Amino acid sequence: MSSHAPDDSSKAESDRAAGREGEADAYGALGLVISGVLVWGGVGFLVAERLDNRLFVMLGLLLGMGAGLYLVWFRYGRQT
Amino acid sequence: MSSSVLAVEGEGFVSPGPGTFVYPPAFGEGSLVTKPMLIVILGSLAVAVFFFLAARRAAMVPGKTQFVGESLYGFVRNSIALEAIGKPGLKYVPYLATVFFFLATLNISGILPLVQFPATSKIAIPLFLAVISCVIFNVIGIKREGLGGYFKHMMFPSGIPWPVYILLAPIEFVSTIIIRPLTLTLRLTFNMFAGHLVLVLFILGGEYLVFEYGGVVGIAAGTVALLGSLVLTAFEGFVQLLQAYVFTLLSALYIGGALQDEH
Repeated sequence: MSSHAPDDSSKAESDRAAGREGEADAYGALGLVISGVLVWGGVGFLVAERLDNRLFVMLGLLLGMGAGLYLVWFRYGRQT
Repeated sequence: MSSSVLAVEGEGFVSPGPGTFVYPPAFGEGSLVTKPMLIVILGSLAVAVFFFLAARRAAMVPGKTQFVGESLYGFVRNSIALEAIGKPGLKYVPYLATVFFFLATLNISGILPLVQFPATSKIAIPLFLAVISCVIFNVIGIKREGLGGYFKHMMFPSGIPWPVYILLAPIEFVSTIIIRPLTLTLRLTFNMFAGHLVLVLFILGGEYLVFEYGGVVGIAAGTVALLGSLVLTAFEGFVQLLQAYVFTLLSALYIGGALQDEH
């Protein structure tokens, strides 16, 4: 058991840190797509109830999915 | 209702369902405490007492308890706080360590002989911890950037034409404030829920096959199921530790995200 503090930012350490960040990005991306579908699908559902036309649910879901995916690309996909 | 009638008549195996997670009062009718609550209380006490004993009379040359306590605490400090947040994360090690060992203990109670119920499969416990984590990282962000700056940063990333914000800002808001704690909660709760259900199914099913169904087929299949339940118990132990780790790690990553600038 090594109980020394890895305060030095050695290469392996930063590599692993990058791995953790990748993990966070994966969950973040998933969250964005889910939120997109939830928010705009929800709006679509409300509009559909109001106008008595179920087409708006689908439109909302697709819009939300598109916007969520766009955000994923914007946040995580552009650099490099 | 009808399924319980069937069970009484002994007409077949009734597979365990969500009802498995509902416990009657532990000390007879009218008492408020149930088995999951007892597990939470005793589990918290066990963690607190252990770390109290480990930290009491801390010596340069650690005794056995202090060594184990320091190694466990060091794991959270080095592999979670330092890696996910970096040096500023040292401030949050006490919180992260508390969450990790609290959750690990309550998860492991699912395979602890005689206890055998993961208290974290009750949604209130993960939900409460997730809400605390959520409050912490939001407060950190608001403190660092100010209320307006924080939400501006979160909801309006620069570099997007303004009409698109109408589409994107609500998504960012919901994703950070609602989806993050919700996924923390659900990931942990239903990993524990499903794991416990599978174990109960294998054990009760195996018992039924051996003792009720009987015959060569029943005994052979039941034995396989009971042996399988041992393997699954080991696997479940792995999942329980992993999920406690994932919950803590993600909390740390959210805190780390609030502490540093967007790149």
